[in-house]
Amino acid sequence: MKTIKVVIIDDERGARLELLRMLNGYPQVTVLGEAADADEAELMIRSLRPDLIFLDIQMPGRSGLDLLETLDHLPHVIFVTAFDQYAIRAFEVSAMDYLMKPVREERFAKAMSQAIERIGGHDEPSVFVKDRGRYHLIKWKDIQLIESVENYARLWFGKNQVLFKTSLNKLEENPDCRMFFRAGRGQMFNMDFIKSILKEDNAMTVELTTGELIRLSERQATKFKNLRRQ
Amino acid sequence: MENKSFISLYWKCQLTGWTVASLYWTVQGWTGGRFRWDLALVQLVSDVMMYILITHLYRTFALKNRWQDLSLNDLWWRILVAIPVMGAFYTAVTLGKLHLIRVLFLTNNPQRFADFFELNGLSIFMAGIRLMAIWLLAYHLYHYAKREIRISGENARLELGFKQAQLDNLFAQLNPHFLFNSLNIIKSLIYTNPGSAGRGIDLLSELLRSGLYSGTSMPISLKEEMELVKDYLELEQLRMEERLSYHLDVDVSLSGRIVPRLSVQALVENAVKHGVALRKEGGKIDISVLEKEGFLYLRVTNPGRFERDNSPAGIGLRNLRERLVISYQGQAALSLVQEGEKVCAEIKIPIQ
Repeated sequence: MKTIKVVIIDDERGARLELLRMLNGYPQVTVLGEAADADEAELMIRSLRPDLIFLDIQMPGRSGLDLLETLDHLPHVIFVTAFDQYAIRAFEVSAMDYLMKPVREERFAKAMSQAIERIGGHDEPSVFVKDRGRYHLIKWKDIQLIESVENYARLWFGKNQVLFKTSLNKLEENPDCRMFFRAGRGQMFNMDFIKSILKEDNAMTVELTTGELIRLSERQATKFKNLRRQ
Repeated sequence: MENKSFISLYWKCQLTGWTVASLYWTVQGWTGGRFRWDLALVQLVSDVMMYILITHLYRTFALKNRWQDLSLNDLWWRILVAIPVMGAFYTAVTLGKLHLIRVLFLTNNPQRFADFFELNGLSIFMAGIRLMAIWLLAYHLYHYAKREIRISGENARLELGFKQAQLDNLFAQLNPHFLFNSLNIIKSLIYTNPGSAGRGIDLLSELLRSGLYSGTSMPISLKEEMELVKDYLELEQLRMEERLSYHLDVDVSLSGRIVPRLSVQALVENAVKHGVALRKEGGKIDISVLEKEGFLYLRVTNPGRFERDNSPAGIGLRNLRERLVISYQGQAALSLVQEGEKVCAEIKIPIQ
């Protein structure tokens, strides 16, 4: 049985204790830590890489939603909230579960069994993005192109695009983004979207199935060929 | 707009009323023989003009002295005085006019004014009393009815506002975030600390009872209000633990003062929600009550920044402000100001 690593994030100690108590019934769960605010939680998630987090929305300082926007490796998330109808209404994200405090045992069991299934199986790595007041959960594999825009990365999926606060350097190191190739300073493209490759002398132009054309310099082309050969 | 249409209605009534009255005399003259068209016309026009002048002067005088706003008790004796006074004016101008007409048109029958006065004075005066009484009653009845309609409309609006405030208060008290978080903490305490869990249920029950089932008896004593505030803070402390602390500074001598129910509590809840709860390090809430120059000052201070356009701060305080307006007819005030690193909310209410 695969161990599930969990982090609990809630500003109230009592609320965290209650979740800990409910998690007691799951021997496969290891609680790595508890955080009382978003900053603490961010550090914990980056260093401990949990599979699952329980997340309160209203907290002093940054909210739970703000926290998710800063993460480029997203664990499975279960929101636990007392009454945040507005926050929940802003969700485009059916893939995310939320529980209402106080949490019923049956409801908790359902959320846990879903989480265990997802984590055990092949849950597609995703990213949590706020765009024009609404939240989206986008799978990395659905993104064809990433462009650097100042302190943000513009994620293109199909005809849509959203801004996500991160750098291309960070994304290159992110194991969730293995399918992306860094084409120069300002672009990364998803190699699963390649439609054709055009050779021009030593340089290269890659055409994506979504229509974008990406030019690779000689140096990048060599790197690209080496990568493909592996 | 309303004023303009009223003036036109007023003039319509004046003209029609006096024309009809004067036509009555014209008809009387016509059936009485010796009827002269030219004289009848002069009589008619002069009657209408003169009586409109008298009554219009009265109206100007009454409006200037705001008699239309007087209660019935203050108004009736003024009308009783006005009737003979206006009757006298009526008599004077009528006699003067009739005599003038006689002198100008009926030269063959000159009668001395004294005789004429003696002969007709009393009956003209009686007619004046009758006509002026009718005019005054009609005029003031119209205004009185108008005033009554306005007042009952205002009362209905106030009543509605009060009901709305009660309803808002109910919702505010039921603040779902507070309620469900409290229930959650009590559930957690049931397993870890049953004694505290029991206490939590007691506190929550007290607050719900006070907010939901207090009935119409809105004001309570300051002592009772402070008990509610303490219950509320203790419950919040179950959740926020050491992040929330408070200090109460209320003179015992003020215990019996009457305050609106859940007024200080609303300020404190606001201070927790928009002050202490937003800060990781939490903070301390200071509550003080002071009596000065016939007013009671209820102050709640919390660390933090007050943002004017922070609309969520609205509902609880807006609702409280509304309640204060209704209960104290504008003599109470609610203020929210930044004092250095602290936000200070204060209610000022007249001592009853």
